[in-house]
Amino acid sequence: MKTPVSVLRLPRGPDPNSRGFDPSSPRFLALCPTSVPSSSSSSSDEEEQRLRAELRERFLRTLLLMTGKRVRFDMHEHVRVHARFGASDIDVLNLQVSDLETPLGVQREALLRCQDVIACSFEV
Amino acid sequence: MLQWIHRSPQHWHEFINHEVCVTNRDQQRFEGRVFTVDPVSASVVLVSVQENECPSVRVILGHAVTDVQILRRGTEETERQMKSVFLPDRAQDLSAEELKSRRESVRLWLEKNRVPVTEDGELLCVANALTISAPYRPGDCSSTSEIILSRIQSLVEKLPSPKENIPGHQAQLSRSNITSVLQTQ
Repeated sequence: MKTPVSVLRLPRGPDPNSRGFDPSSPRFLALCPTSVPSSSSSSSDEEEQRLRAELRERFLRTLLLMTGKRVRFDMHEHVRVHARFGASDIDVLNLQVSDLETPLGVQREALLRCQDVIACSFEV
Repeated sequence: MLQWIHRSPQHWHEFINHEVCVTNRDQQRFEGRVFTVDPVSASVVLVSVQENECPSVRVILGHAVTDVQILRRGTEETERQMKSVFLPDRAQDLSAEELKSRRESVRLWLEKNRVPVTEDGELLCVANALTISAPYRPGDCSSTSEIILSRIQSLVEKLPSPKENIPGHQAQLSRSNITSVLQTQ
């Protein structure tokens, strides 16, 4: 395993608060769903909620299975990186990973923005 | 035609267990069996369908999906196989009789320790505050109270194995201990 590189301090971007991770930034508010769109008829609300819960539970099990595993991230412009998956936030906007292998070296800890990631794959 | 991320959960649920081809904005194609679609981010979770390889899972983020087409419909067998990837120790490995005897032994152990427990079909309900589902291991307890959960979990963990379970076995918790636990909510 390659030795991790030290953390790079890049020059500040246009947004002084963390380049897109700040919860009050316009980008975050635009991406984060503040209200959940639901079907118009009220009689199917329970059914819709039940389906939502089932789908979400399965997704959480996927994330559980993914923790600690070496995951390949396919990003824009055919960029592919490998890292050890740590966690995702509740709205699936950011992914916390360890030992991210980049052309600059191995970053010990990193946060990936989900808007940059197209797909993640791993072996069970 | 609505975008994938704006579809309803009913629409997403239709795809579960079927083999699909997901197309993204760069015209890349991903194939696999749908395990789920996250309702929050519309991300599609695909499981590889090859028999003789170890299964691989791919999560395609919702914002990147443009189209999902069903290639082949799945069956109950494929659903069961897929679930076994994600839920390794499920109760479906135990037969109905084994489950029943396990439920009985857990219930008797709890009663021996003066814990009020009732049977509700396949579930064990403890004092209306905690439920234990099959196969009745410490990890199968669920409750809204952390204190009750940890107490009952440690109790279930101490469940003696069948050959040790002789009548008159000493109770682990005293009556006053239990009532004080159940009152602190």
